[in-house]
Amino acid sequence: MTSTAAPRKHQSGGDESAAKESTARRFGRAALGRQPIGMIFGAPYLLFIAVLFAYPLGLAVYMSLHRYYFTAPGVNVPRPWVGLSNYDAVFSDPAVRQAFLNVLIFLVINVPLTVAVSLLLATALNAAIPFRAFFRTSFLAPYVTASVAMIGVFLFILSPTGIASTVLGPLAPVPSWLVNQNWAMPSIALYVTWKGLGFYILLYLAALQGVPKELYEAAAMDGASWWHRLLSVTVPGVRQVTTLVTLLAVITGANLFTEPYLLTDGGGPNGKSASPVLQIYQTGIEQNHPDFASALGIILVIGVLLIAGIQQLVQRRQA
Amino acid sequence: MTKADRATPEVTARSDSVTAALEPRASRSWWRLIALLFGALVFLFPFYYMVIGSLQKTQNTSLSGVLPNPGNMTLHNYGEINVAIGLGKAIINSGIFTGGVLLVTLVFGILAGYALARLSFRGRGLLFALMMLVLTVPFQLLIIPLYVLIARNYGLANSYLGMIAPFAINSTAVLIFRQYFMQLPAELFDAARIDGASELKVLIHIALPLVRPAVLTAMLLTFIGPWNEFLWPFLITKEQGLQPLAVAMANYIDNVAATASNPYGAILAGSCVLAAPAVALIIGFQRYFVSTNIGSGVKG
Amino acid sequence: MIKPRTRIAAALVLTLGVAACGGGGGVSARTATDAYGPITIWYSNNATEVAWGEQMVASWNKGHPGQQVSGQQIPAGQSSEEVIGAAITAGTEPCLIYNTSPASVPDFEKQGGLVPLNDFPGGAAYIEARTGPGASVYKSPDGLYYQLPWKSNPVMIFYNKKEFAKAGISTTNPPLSTYSQFLATARKLVSSGAAKYAIYPSPSSEFFEAWYDFYPLYAAETGGKQLVENNKATFDSAAGQAVAGFWRQLYAQNLAGDESYNGDPFADGTAAMAIVGPWAIADYQGVVDWGVAPLPTSQGNTLDTIPTFSDAKNIAMYASCQNRATAWDFLKYSTSVAEDGKLLAMTGQMPMRQGIQQLYASYFKANPAYTEFAAEAAHVIEVPIVPNSVEIWQAFRNAWSDSVIFGQESPDKALGAAASQINQLVTGNGEP
Repeated sequence: MTSTAAPRKHQSGGDESAAKESTARRFGRAALGRQPIGMIFGAPYLLFIAVLFAYPLGLAVYMSLHRYYFTAPGVNVPRPWVGLSNYDAVFSDPAVRQAFLNVLIFLVINVPLTVAVSLLLATALNAAIPFRAFFRTSFLAPYVTASVAMIGVFLFILSPTGIASTVLGPLAPVPSWLVNQNWAMPSIALYVTWKGLGFYILLYLAALQGVPKELYEAAAMDGASWWHRLLSVTVPGVRQVTTLVTLLAVITGANLFTEPYLLTDGGGPNGKSASPVLQIYQTGIEQNHPDFASALGIILVIGVLLIAGIQQLVQRRQA
Repeated sequence: MTKADRATPEVTARSDSVTAALEPRASRSWWRLIALLFGALVFLFPFYYMVIGSLQKTQNTSLSGVLPNPGNMTLHNYGEINVAIGLGKAIINSGIFTGGVLLVTLVFGILAGYALARLSFRGRGLLFALMMLVLTVPFQLLIIPLYVLIARNYGLANSYLGMIAPFAINSTAVLIFRQYFMQLPAELFDAARIDGASELKVLIHIALPLVRPAVLTAMLLTFIGPWNEFLWPFLITKEQGLQPLAVAMANYIDNVAATASNPYGAILAGSCVLAAPAVALIIGFQRYFVSTNIGSGVKG
Repeated sequence: MIKPRTRIAAALVLTLGVAACGGGGGVSARTATDAYGPITIWYSNNATEVAWGEQMVASWNKGHPGQQVSGQQIPAGQSSEEVIGAAITAGTEPCLIYNTSPASVPDFEKQGGLVPLNDFPGGAAYIEARTGPGASVYKSPDGLYYQLPWKSNPVMIFYNKKEFAKAGISTTNPPLSTYSQFLATARKLVSSGAAKYAIYPSPSSEFFEAWYDFYPLYAAETGGKQLVENNKATFDSAAGQAVAGFWRQLYAQNLAGDESYNGDPFADGTAAMAIVGPWAIADYQGVVDWGVAPLPTSQGNTLDTIPTFSDAKNIAMYASCQNRATAWDFLKYSTSVAEDGKLLAMTGQMPMRQGIQQLYASYFKANPAYTEFAAEAAHVIEVPIVPNSVEIWQAFRNAWSDSVIFGQESPDKALGAAASQINQLVTGNGEP
């Protein structure tokens, strides 16, 4: 993206205009900024955030600290303060613990795979090869398509009589992938990894532009093989983006909902593919316990913020 | 954001040829191509299988079913799911939902992004911090209070407005707008302001034309969200006639598919219809998804 | 250039403000009970029920021009409870829902979403006259009727005659009355290759799945006990353990499947038996050559009719209803002798009316397949109408899944723990 617009006719110095301003106006400007119209520009967005983000967030915190359930409009029920007892209930619920364990399993599979494969593919793509546009489009296709649509295909592929089991024959797990307690979450992890790679490849491609070519030249002259060049030049060179990719992958994993809901029918075999957000939905909407659900949600957010904070610290240390 | 992010395609191509010149040309590029082809195969196979499966008369899940079999082909599955969900209406609903979000984000998001980038005003820091907070907090935490707010307090259940509201202004798009407005040289704006132009005029006539590619990228990213969104419209619209395609599909998979003559065939037919616009868009606009645009937009 | 901006912003704030005011209070009960006018109703999305619903609505509308009824199928969701509960919260539910599960009534009550039918003149009397003494189990703890018992689907054992014949088992009098007989038959079916599974109830962990494996057999074994009686769990007993032990055997010997099945395994032939009610007869006609047998018990039962689970679906009136007088009149119209007869004829489900075998004798003569179910309809047990009933069933199902289906715990321990949890929940003090 280049800026090619010709500058307008330049008038001499801004001091003249400033001097022409009245004292009062200058005073007002100092208080409201040099371009107070910015407040008007930003007002709709601010209103949007206030009404549709800040207020619900506040309400979620409120619900998590009270005994709260939904009632018909106009029906008033006592909503006593219960302090942290909802949080207590969340921590001591074995189903919730299983859900967090499931997320851990998901991350263990998803994050290393995502980082490694997207970096490798980005490196491969980062050269003068034919059909670049075709490859870029094919990597992006899963990312831009609705999860609901892709889930349809994967339900088909991973069904008990689906092609995955047919091809593997006797090696296929019984019961089949999505209803198998040991394979349900890994199946979801592999699906989500596959689906998200396109975006991370783009991120790495951008980062690879910033790795100075001289470093590669130097390493090549030292006789380093392709693999060594990758490890010693590329990987350190894109470190910042690797932390970004890791963080985004963690956030995605923590917020899994559509896949467990549709692929494994709400929780999976014996709850082995439930995710915390799925449980927020189940307890909050299906079972009418929004107090429990809000507490769980806030715990989730705090967890993600903690990880983001740690990532910032690590990044600052490295820089 | 490093200088490299502003690299033009010409610069990139130049560095590529330098890199390529360093390596044993023949074997290096062949391995690369093979790896990429394998990757492309893995990415594209499910799409191919989706189309094949949607055209099957009777379900064929063996390896031979992967190849198109003219004897087993039919468009019946598309008809079947159309009868069950009403594909046309569902797509229109998706369109209205997505279009509404695009419109609101385009108008108010650009204003906010410009203000954050180039205007100095009281509360700018607060607005920026709020934007970053919105990007960090997962939407699912808020669905429950949002449901109460929008369905009950505002009475917007079963309405397009209720669907659009939480997504109205896409914060990622605002971030992208901000990044790109920030990249424009300051002299441009100083000159215009000295000339006495109002900020709105500056935005519309000077800044906006210069960031058109970024606007397109941001719009594409904003499109993906609502078009593919499932949970919120599912919650807020229980009336079948209002549901976007993603929700109608999910309901079909969950409840009705088992009664169809070729359940998976019908599901895949719906999936094809749902996936087609998004895929068509990236094929058409893929050069705007150039890495530099997105990478810098998210990193900064 | 500020003016258009401020105008838009002001309009936005105004709209939000007005809309916020609009969402306010509920319907005043006193005025609504006397109000007549148009109403909306929901019925289930079962094809035959939809057909019945549509003709019923059409015939009412013809005779009541000022009180038009508009009916639609219940919106889709994971379960009707979720859909109705969310609608109650938003105030968007209809006047009457012809698909109200008795287990959800306590929760909807808690939300303030239901109208007690005793509000109407002769309300309780109408219910008791129609259903008879069996109506009293549908009273809520406060003694009021928040639901009208509408139709039941007494579940029995369906068996696939062709597969039974293939396994060399009698198709007219199959040995299925004691647990040991049932298990032996099941083993024969699977080992002979006649069917992949002997029986295949859904193993998923939704709270209502227990109604199709545990509860019917528990009803049979105990001669008609509910899960919870007098605020105490009853299943932590010899009878409950017997039922649990029986099912554990079925799962352990791989005679019942423990993975989710996409479709109907009995219709597909994957399972040789199913526990299901008469609504399924329409689905199986022409697909499976089926027979019906009563539920097994541990010792075999000498009663004429073995008790079973009702799988009832009832009608309730909801709080957002404005024209409640019309709704009450329509409710009575749709549960009249004539309409009950049409319901029976069109859907095969048993109206919860006294003496249906005599009233509709001609129907049963023409459709003898349904006669057994009509007899059973007089010997059904219902889910307990107690606070937190959905959670109680969920707690039970979790323990059942863990111990009986997946064998990760002993049923003794698991059910015992569930019983103590349920004793807490039923008093209304339980933690979610």
